[in-house]
Amino acid sequence: MKLGINLAVGAALGALLLSSQMAAAQEDDKIVVGFATAASGFMQAYDKPAQDAAMIRIDEINKAGGLLGKQIEVVTADTKTDRAEGAKAGLEVLDKGADLVVVSCDYDFGAPAALAAESAGKVSFFLCAESVKAGIQGVGPHSFSASVLAAVQGATMAEWAYTKKNARNFYRLLDTWTEYNKGICDGFDYMMPKLKDAKLVGEDTFKNEDASIAAQITRIKSLAQEPDAIMVCTMMPGAVSAIKQLRAAGINSMILNGSGVSGSYWLSAVPDLSNFFVPDQGSVHGDDPNPKVNEFNAKYKAVTGGDPSSQYVYPGYVMIDVWAKAVERAKSTEAGAVVAELEKMKDEPTLFGPRTFSAELHHQNTGRYLITEVNKGKPGVVDEWTISEPVPLDYLLSK
Amino acid sequence: MAGRPGILARTISTPIILAAILGLVALAALAVHSGPFNQTVIDIFIRVILVVGLYVFIGNSGVLSFGHIGFTCLGAYMTAWLTIPPPMKKMALPDLPMLILNAKLPFYIGIIAAAAFAAFAAFLFGKILMRLSGIAASIATFAMLAVINQVYSNWENVTGATSSVVGIPINRSIWPYFLCAILVVFVAYFYAISRSGLALRAARDEAIAARASGVDIPRERLIAFVLSGAIMGLGGALYAHSVGVVTPDTFYLSLTFISLSMLVVGGMNSLSGAVLGVVVLSTIIQILRWFEKGIDIGGAVLTIPNGVQEIAIGIVMIVILMFRPTGLTRNRELVWHGWPFKKLSVGADSVAHSASADRTNAKTSNRRTS
Repeated sequence: MKLGINLAVGAALGALLLSSQMAAAQEDDKIVVGFATAASGFMQAYDKPAQDAAMIRIDEINKAGGLLGKQIEVVTADTKTDRAEGAKAGLEVLDKGADLVVVSCDYDFGAPAALAAESAGKVSFFLCAESVKAGIQGVGPHSFSASVLAAVQGATMAEWAYTKKNARNFYRLLDTWTEYNKGICDGFDYMMPKLKDAKLVGEDTFKNEDASIAAQITRIKSLAQEPDAIMVCTMMPGAVSAIKQLRAAGINSMILNGSGVSGSYWLSAVPDLSNFFVPDQGSVHGDDPNPKVNEFNAKYKAVTGGDPSSQYVYPGYVMIDVWAKAVERAKSTEAGAVVAELEKMKDEPTLFGPRTFSAELHHQNTGRYLITEVNKGKPGVVDEWTISEPVPLDYLLSK
Repeated sequence: MAGRPGILARTISTPIILAAILGLVALAALAVHSGPFNQTVIDIFIRVILVVGLYVFIGNSGVLSFGHIGFTCLGAYMTAWLTIPPPMKKMALPDLPMLILNAKLPFYIGIIAAAAFAAFAAFLFGKILMRLSGIAASIATFAMLAVINQVYSNWENVTGATSSVVGIPINRSIWPYFLCAILVVFVAYFYAISRSGLALRAARDEAIAARASGVDIPRERLIAFVLSGAIMGLGGALYAHSVGVVTPDTFYLSLTFISLSMLVVGGMNSLSGAVLGVVVLSTIIQILRWFEKGIDIGGAVLTIPNGVQEIAIGIVMIVILMFRPTGLTRNRELVWHGWPFKKLSVGADSVAHSASADRTNAKTSNRRTS
């Protein structure tokens, strides 16, 4: 009875043969950027556009002679929108010699790969995660995020609406589905009480998957006076339904949002939407005050065949930009030196607003936002705003 | 019966063969020496633990459980609570009991506590659920999974709700996972041939006759449920230490179904089926992943589109179950009657016990799997 032995030998040989392709020697004449991001699964919708933007910046650098005189080479591994696969993807790009490990947009899905990079002592960057955990707090001292904290979006909208739109009576509607949503409302909660005479006339929660928010709407309608502004902390796909229901119920208050509803791809679902405001790092509508952003949009269209769908494309570009600058200044890709240079960045200008990193926070707790207004279904940039003071780190951590 | 060797002597070769297969998988990891492949092998060992955990209850009792991944969740969070550095716990999980909040225990205590905690939870749930039979029991275990998932997704200051719990020390050596997988295989084996295990299998095959012979079915089921709960908890804890991040949705439907499929494809009522189901399906998944990335064959790179792996594995499972409805092993065990078991197992072939393998069947399964 040779079954056990045959089987075992077969399995082992199969495994050996198939893994002979794994070797990966790093050569000194190039710098390797590893993308451990989702090429399949739902995260792909977030990771792919930001990754395309990152590739555009890498291309620009390579065409201009490379980084430290070396060409940047890109290696990728698919996380399949799965955490355990994420850890493998992280290890795989490290095996291929990655000097920088780029991980998924979302903290939950990016963390396993970032943790793998951290334990290998390499720099990792979240493509566009907006939780304070995406960095030192949730990964370690070599981890960064290329986007801006969700709390900054909530704080920006509160302060801007107060100052520019004379909003005094606020209502807060939180979708408890994700950390990101809670983050927007945390920022709003921090800023709103600091505004003189501003008052929270009510607050409520719902869940992204709720088919109806009629109960919440009834409570808003039963207020003595319609609030000046409703801060809606939510994201796709539930956001569309909630917004549509608010307007259908005849509530005409100004609606303030996080960047989760950025872009125009969903606007046809709520025809003639007005008095609706979104913070954007850059405009995808072709009207950015910075002509270079519009140039970038054109380039993005040329490379990918479509306009950027939302502002979440931009952090990918910013990421390579700031990392490459840090490498230039450190004259090395050694993680410690690059991190030290990144932490020296204070209001470092980028195409999509300034970036600051410090030894305490590898994320943005303040930042310039464009304010996009949707008027009769047409989005357009109407203003820009930087919050008067950063959202403090200990406040963010206590949340 | 005179001269017939005991059950231990007749069947002990099964866990040894299975351990040897796992040993070869471990050797493959050592030979390849690459980070991602190492992680894949760790993954296989964890899956082996989970599927063997399912087998201990489902295989022996015949009751299909959809709830066992709940115990995996309990185990993963237990080790997270115990092993995360206290400053991080105070920030993320402030409502933990003081004793746990200030503790920073080593990896091995974390996984032992996880197994014990899951076993305790299994005891509480099992005390009630094990009175049920058939589809009612399956639905009740599914409800248990939903309850555990909801509690862990909403108890903000203790489990961090839906956010990731981070700071779990990561262990990337294959040995702890390997040793636990071997341990679990032996535990499952010894349970299956124990008095309680045999009584439960009797109840599975013929409930009324078993009861008439004095088998207390709810009690035997409870024993299997608690033991399998402990194994699932151990698997969850090891998962937590292999990835370093846990969230409640990791331990929900998709993990439940992939683990159950591996058990069914291998052969639900056999320990060999549980182990082989994992090894075979994981190997196929890995091969398909390599194809997705592109394999260099004589200069030409052969690539299949991303996402084909998930479809292909579904088709493979359907094909296996079409031709082998009782799984790759046909619910039999791998046994070896040659040296050094020869003397021990004389007469074993004549025993109509589910733990004896048929030579030809086993050979076919060998061809299919290698």
